[in-house]
Amino acid sequence: MKLVWKLLRQHISIGQLVGFFFANLLGMLIVLLSVQFYQDVKPAFSQEDSFIKNDYLIVSKSISTLGGLTGSTSTFSDGEIGEIKGQTFCKGVGKFTATQYHVSGSFGLSNQPALSTDMFFESVPSEFIDVQAGNWHFDEQEGIVPIILPRSYLAIYNFGFAPSQSLPKITEDVAGMVEMNIAMRGNGQQQIVKGKVVGFSNRLNTILAPEEFIQWSNQKFAPEEDDSPTRLIVQVKNPADEKIMQYFSERGYEIAEDKLDAGKTMFFLRIVSGIVMAIGLLISVLSFYILMLSIYLLVQKNTQKLQNLLLIGYSPAKVSMPYQLLTIGMNAIVLIISLLLLYYVRNYYLDMLWSVFPEMDTSGLTPAILLGAALFAVVSIINIIAVRGKVMKIWKNKE
Amino acid sequence: MNSIILQDALPNVFAHRTDIQSDIWKTHAVFERDHLYLVEANSGTGKSSMCSYIIGYRHDYSGQILFDDEDTKHYGTSKWVKLRQHSLSHIFQELRLFPELTAYENVEIKNNLTKFKDKKQILEWFDALGIGDKINQKIGKMSFGQRQRVAMIRALVQPFDFLLADEPISHLDETNSRIMAEIMMTEAKAQGAGVIVTSIGKHMELPYEKVFRL
Repeated sequence: MKLVWKLLRQHISIGQLVGFFFANLLGMLIVLLSVQFYQDVKPAFSQEDSFIKNDYLIVSKSISTLGGLTGSTSTFSDGEIGEIKGQTFCKGVGKFTATQYHVSGSFGLSNQPALSTDMFFESVPSEFIDVQAGNWHFDEQEGIVPIILPRSYLAIYNFGFAPSQSLPKITEDVAGMVEMNIAMRGNGQQQIVKGKVVGFSNRLNTILAPEEFIQWSNQKFAPEEDDSPTRLIVQVKNPADEKIMQYFSERGYEIAEDKLDAGKTMFFLRIVSGIVMAIGLLISVLSFYILMLSIYLLVQKNTQKLQNLLLIGYSPAKVSMPYQLLTIGMNAIVLIISLLLLYYVRNYYLDMLWSVFPEMDTSGLTPAILLGAALFAVVSIINIIAVRGKVMKIWKNKE
Repeated sequence: MNSIILQDALPNVFAHRTDIQSDIWKTHAVFERDHLYLVEANSGTGKSSMCSYIIGYRHDYSGQILFDDEDTKHYGTSKWVKLRQHSLSHIFQELRLFPELTAYENVEIKNNLTKFKDKKQILEWFDALGIGDKINQKIGKMSFGQRQRVAMIRALVQPFDFLLADEPISHLDETNSRIMAEIMMTEAKAQGAGVIVTSIGKHMELPYEKVFRL
C-alpha cells in the first residue's frame, strides 16, 4: 500500500486541499455553531415559564370605565369561544375557571402562620399546563392542592414584605416546602385543605390550581354561581402571526402583551438560526465541491498510473482506497477541529448567557456532535462513491 | 486455467474488412498450458489488441474469447482482478512501468499483491539481466532496453497459467535476449504455464511449438 500511495500522491495539490480545508472548516463551524447556539439559547426563553408553553396566549376582555358602570359583561360566552376556536391561527382554547366562594389562605413554616390573606384560585384545562401529571392533581381524600403562583408574588414577599417584618427570604425551592392552609367558605359549609406550591410562573398572573379541584370546590361551596370565564387561554400555531393581533383588537379583546414576546423571540431565533445554518451549509457544499473537483483533477492527472495499477492486478477497490482515505481523513480532521473550535466559542458565549440567565441549564455538545457526525457520514459516503465511480470509469477504459 | 481459445474473434475496427487472412482472427485459435507459441504480425494487424482482449482490458471485438470453454465476456471486475493476479501475466509492449518508482519498487509493487517471489530471487534476476546495479534507479532515468528487462522481471513475480510477452525483446541485444528467454522459459516450465510471444520481426530464439501469423 505504501508504494501505491507513493505513486498516487503524485500531483496532489496542497493548495487546493488547504483551500478546501479552510472553506469546509468555516462552513462546518457555522453550521454546528448555529445549531448549538440555538439549542443552548432555547432553554433561556422557554425555561422562564416551564408551566405554560410559548405558543399560548391569555385573552381577556377590556374593562372600560363605562362598561364597569353599566355592568356589561366581561365574561366570554360559548358563542365567542366557538368563534375563536374556528380561527385559522388557533390550535385550541381553554377557559379560566375561578373559585366562586370565599377563600382565605395562611402561609407559615411549621404551623407558625406568617401571612394570612383572602384569595382566590383559577384553573385552566390540564393539557395547557406543563407540570408532570402526578404533581398536577387534586384528590379529595388527600386534601392537598398543588398551586402555581406568579413569580412576582415571591418577589413581593422577598423584597417588600419579608424585610419589613424581619422574616426570612424564601427561594423557589424553599417555597415548595412552605405550608399553606386554605380555608374555604360558602353554601353554609366550611373546609380547610393544605396547599403546596409546585412552581412559579412569569406568564400567568393568577393563582393556578388543578381544574378538578376548582370544579369540585365550586360544586360544593357555590353550586348556584355562574362560572362563565373572564379569561381564555388560546394555543396558537405561530405567536408572531399578525392576524392574531388583528383579530383580537377588532373585537376589543386584550392579549397579555409580554406573553407574546418570548414566543416571538423564539420564532425569530429559529429564523435567524435557520438562515445562519443555511449559509454554513452553502459554504460547506461549495467547499465539498472544491474537494470533489480537486480529487477529480487528481484522478485525471494520474489516470495512466491508475490504469497501469489495474492492469497489473490491483483491484478498483484497492486503487480507490488512497483517495477515499485522503478525503475521509480531511473530513474527519475538519470535523474534529470544528468541534474543538465550537467548544471554545461556546464556552465564551455560555459565560455571557449565564450572566444574563443564571438559572439556565444547558444540554452539552450533543446536538452539534450528532449533526457533525451526520454531515461527516453523508459527505464521506458521497466521496467514497464518487472516487470509486471515477476509478471504475478508468477500469472500463472510458477516461 | 488450461486453455485460451479465440473463437471467430475479430476486432471491431476490422469488421468491414473482407480480406482478413489470419491464423487468429475469424478462426478457431487455441493456446494451451505448457506450450510455447509465437504470434508473428505486421504492424496494424491487431497484435496489441489481441493481448488487451485476453487480459480483459478491452472488449471491442466480435466473436468469443474462451478460458476453459467459459466466455470471458461475462466476467466481472473481481474475476478479472483475480485472473490478473493469479493466472495471466503480461509483458506490455508499452511496458506500463511507473517512472516515479525505482526499478526494484516497480517489481515490488507487483510482488506485493501475491508475495510470490522473495527479494533474493528478484535480485538474482536483476543481476542475471545485467541491471543489478540499477535497482535503486528511477525507471524514468533508464533506457528502454533496461526498462524492458524490469518489465520482464515484474511479469514473473506472480503465479500464472499463461504468459503474454508482447514484443519483449524489441530493444535488447542478442546476449540479453537469450538470458531473458532462458529465465522466462525456466519460470514458465516450473509453473507449467503456456507462453505466447508476439513479434513484428526480431523475435526471441526459442523452440516454438506453433507459429501463428496474425
